[in-house]
Amino acid sequence: MIEVSNLVKTYTLTKQQKKELQTTAGSINAVNNINFTCTPGRVFSLLGPNGAGKTTTLRMIATILKPSSGNIKVSGHSVENQPDKVRRSIGFLTGSTNLYERLTPEEIVKYFADLHGISNANLKKRKEELFERLGINEFAKKRIGQMSTGMKQKVSIARSMIHDPSVVIFDEPTSGLDVITANSIIDLIRQCKNENKTVIFSSHIMSEVDLLCDDLAIIAKGNLVYSGSMDDYRQQSAGKSLTETFIDVVNANQVVNA
Amino acid sequence: MRIRLLTLKFKKMKIVLTVIKKELLDTLRDKRTLISAILLPMLLIPVLMFGVTKMQSSLIKKEQTKDIKIALFQAPENFAYYFQEDNIEIVSGLDLEAAKTAIGNDSLDAVLEFEPDFQQKVDQMKTGTINLNYKTTEMMLFNRISAKVEAYKATVLQERVKQLNITSEAINPVVIQKTDMASSKERLGKMFGGILPYMFIIMCFFGCMYPALDLITGEKEKGTIETLLTVPASRFKILLGKVLTIALVGLFSALMIIFGLFISLKLFPDIPAEFLTAINGVISVNFLLMMFAMLIPLSIFFAGILSALVIRANSFKEAQSIVTPLSFVVLIPAMMAMLPGIELNWKTVWIPILNIALATKEIIAETIQMEHFIVIVISLVIIALLSVFFSHTQFSKESMVLK
Repeated sequence: MIEVSNLVKTYTLTKQQKKELQTTAGSINAVNNINFTCTPGRVFSLLGPNGAGKTTTLRMIATILKPSSGNIKVSGHSVENQPDKVRRSIGFLTGSTNLYERLTPEEIVKYFADLHGISNANLKKRKEELFERLGINEFAKKRIGQMSTGMKQKVSIARSMIHDPSVVIFDEPTSGLDVITANSIIDLIRQCKNENKTVIFSSHIMSEVDLLCDDLAIIAKGNLVYSGSMDDYRQQSAGKSLTETFIDVVNANQVVNA
Repeated sequence: MRIRLLTLKFKKMKIVLTVIKKELLDTLRDKRTLISAILLPMLLIPVLMFGVTKMQSSLIKKEQTKDIKIALFQAPENFAYYFQEDNIEIVSGLDLEAAKTAIGNDSLDAVLEFEPDFQQKVDQMKTGTINLNYKTTEMMLFNRISAKVEAYKATVLQERVKQLNITSEAINPVVIQKTDMASSKERLGKMFGGILPYMFIIMCFFGCMYPALDLITGEKEKGTIETLLTVPASRFKILLGKVLTIALVGLFSALMIIFGLFISLKLFPDIPAEFLTAINGVISVNFLLMMFAMLIPLSIFFAGILSALVIRANSFKEAQSIVTPLSFVVLIPAMMAMLPGIELNWKTVWIPILNIALATKEIIAETIQMEHFIVIVISLVIIALLSVFFSHTQFSKESMVLK
């Protein structure tokens, strides 16, 4: 369960940044008063164009960034007051995540299990399960540096799932991956759903969203411009393609803003 | 209860150990770290020693056996006899002016111009003068020529002693006999005392530098830090693990200097025996303990400062541009210790880096005052803790940690 209420992230701008953005404002809201809820057993998708604030939002849920105001509760724990408890329940994976080049999958997974405080017996069980399912065993002792992107992505998955999180956060998990590799992520999301986990993922690829998601929110320039179930969204787009509707929603909001 | 507390303590440290283990494994698999932090400091002293001694001796040998051309003017008849040597050629047939210009354009090395009544004066037991024209840039030339002239002088002296019917002692009333009272340790302290602490400090710094870039900026550049920030382990412990790993590599680099010293002792058999015992005396348990008491906090200080500074860099390149000026800040006090007249006192004891360099010198010479040493170690521990604290404040800033 993820509950986001009145979430704001403000960045103060430096002189340089003001010049680049051609603004005189002292600060900018990367995320502006957002509310949504993700429930277990359902896949929640966060949509938006580049720079909309998707990554910032997900980073706040994952306790990497602190909210400027507002509140996030993950599995009932506040990200601000109980970040440790939140961290214990989340798995975080991004498309741009890299791994330690000079380590092997075994070593990386062991490292993260240790950082999560998982017992050795538990680690062994989880590792065997994940390595078997993802097909990592063939290259478990090879160094990351010598692996293909697909192999690396599988190791990334194993690493972020080793502590069996009840909430999984994916930030553009398929970006830069080929179809085959992207499919392993899609399988993972499906499986998480079946295991009754709470899943949130960000994307700007409509087909992916259509395939997986139960609920969605669209954000543009830090504002929430749509929130609802996928079924409602499909109905709303009646006749038009989902991508067209997405573009319409985003553009309509930008006109209002201007 | 006590056992529970202990296990609790161990559990607290467990994360730090986990991080150190992983980071060491990671960084030691990097060839660049291996070369810069281990191989380079290990080879530094042997290469320097080998290079300097070989170069010096070969240079001297070359100068001593170099073919030289000289011209004699109005020399006594038997004089040329003393210059009969394979690599000395006596050029004849030149006039004086031409010979002098020949020195100018290097076709001749020296002109010995005897005064007109030279032979006469010598025969009359007076002093004959030889004008020697040469370039002082030719290092060994004067020594070689004066050695020949000395041989001539000795023959003349012998004749005079015989003629005057006196003993040779009569014309040599005083002889100075030198006894060196400096212990071989003191001489060694003078020789290595300056350069050795300098090397310790610099290698410790360079040893920390690469892992700091790798473990701090590298994590940011490659984008691995995000996931690290989502684990429940405390961020301070993760940072501490990283800082301690960096410090360990730096410490190891400094240790490699001592190891290099050992190697060079084994490699170069022509080191005088008394020096050998002196060096072995210097690298005693006591020396090592005292050095490590200073080097451990120093390396943590370096690791803390470096990690605090490179954390703001988004790429290796950027990090290097931050670190390069810092290395000068470290170099200058380390070099100051080599200046004559700068000694360990209650003023210099407070200057970080300089104090270690000066103390190392005194430890080698066995003249260190314990009060000084204790103050240095305590002040180093304090700045080491401050640097880790500084690093932690930087590490806690969102804008620093994320790209």
